[in-house]
Amino acid sequence: MDYTLDIGAVTRNMGPLWEGLAITLQLTLAANAIGITAGFGLALLVLSRFALLRLPAMLFVEFFRCTPAIVQIVWFFYCVPMLFNVFLDPVVMGILALGLNLTAFNAEAYRASIQAVPREHLDAGIALGLSPAQRVLNIVLPQALRASVPVLLTNGIGTFQQSALVAIVGVADLMYQGKTLATQTYRPIETFTIVALFYLAISFPVSQFVGWMERRRGVVR
Amino acid sequence: MPMSLDFSVLLRFTDALALGLWTTLKLTVLCVLLGTSLGFVIGLARAGRNAVLRIVATAFVEFFRGTPVLIQLFWIFFCLPLVLGMELSNFVSAAIALTLYMGAITSETFRSSLRAVGAEQMDACIALGLPRRTQILNVILPQAVLRAAPTLLSNCISLFKESALVSAVGMADLMFVGQNISNNTARPVEVLTAVALVYFVIAFPLTRLVTLIERRMLKKLSA
Repeated sequence: MDYTLDIGAVTRNMGPLWEGLAITLQLTLAANAIGITAGFGLALLVLSRFALLRLPAMLFVEFFRCTPAIVQIVWFFYCVPMLFNVFLDPVVMGILALGLNLTAFNAEAYRASIQAVPREHLDAGIALGLSPAQRVLNIVLPQALRASVPVLLTNGIGTFQQSALVAIVGVADLMYQGKTLATQTYRPIETFTIVALFYLAISFPVSQFVGWMERRRGVVR
Repeated sequence: MPMSLDFSVLLRFTDALALGLWTTLKLTVLCVLLGTSLGFVIGLARAGRNAVLRIVATAFVEFFRGTPVLIQLFWIFFCLPLVLGMELSNFVSAAIALTLYMGAITSETFRSSLRAVGAEQMDACIALGLPRRTQILNVILPQAVLRAAPTLLSNCISLFKESALVSAVGMADLMFVGQNISNNTARPVEVLTAVALVYFVIAFPLTRLVTLIERRMLKKLSA
């Protein structure tokens, strides 16, 4: 290969990469805040007895799970301003698009763990005269939340990785800064490898933590 | 609403969209076949006794699962030709990137299904004096593949969705064609919605199939 590696070309220009990382983390954390809260509400709707609530919620979940994330993001960035005449900051748009996607995936995780809450616990709640809201908040929520933590974390890392897609619509995240730097320095190998290592350095510890948590609970032996 | 929708604009571009879809499907099927085979080999290496193989295979999987597919794709497109010192066509680059990704995710599926087969089966093989080849090919493999089937199908659906990323490096798949049409006609709502629906119409029935197979299998395994 007639390409001499020059890591210095990248390490001398780390500034934009750190800025990009800050945006990436901001996107990830905010999208997770949306996904973790709205996901639970959506899961309750999916499990609702009323078809009028259940069907739209199911459609929302299936739509986000069965289309490519890149299509969702491009759609969101091009179509939302046209359809609703709203023009938001690109980072906010990115947060909303990623957050809605994560909401759908987390709703599935919550649904599974809500269904795993033993029926008897709810019967006991009724026998104790708890209101439906109390039963959801004090019996279902704590157990379902605990049971779904590993999947929520896995989905959270998924969103961290998916967040690289916003680079395509011009949000200056880590991926975007990496792409720009690679073009400016003519150093694609060094730049893309370092950017990949940035992502790995964050996902890997979290996924190891999830693995440890699952082993400790005896889900996987 | 600031604009009126006109879905008839799509009719003029059905051929182009069909061609894009064809590229998407070709790429997906090819990478499903190559990637699943790769995944099985890596899965065996990770479950095997050779420590060097195990570490290399684990590092490979962690790397591909720990980084965005988009950056893997960029790396293969822009760096691999430099490393190899030769030009690669778009299709070949995309196929390499998606095969490696598919290999990494399916190897996890195979690994957990290999574990689920259980140590008793191995003990039984040894008690029966079966040779190593027979143990793997006739006892472990069929059970592992059967158990892996629903997850493998989910992996295929993931790959189908991830394949839309190749549009970002200029390959004319369904997403790329859709974006092009949307930019040229200034009708993103109609065109991008149609593209999303095409992906949905293909992926959704497959996810139902996964659920169906899972239920069948639960019955079979519990019987």
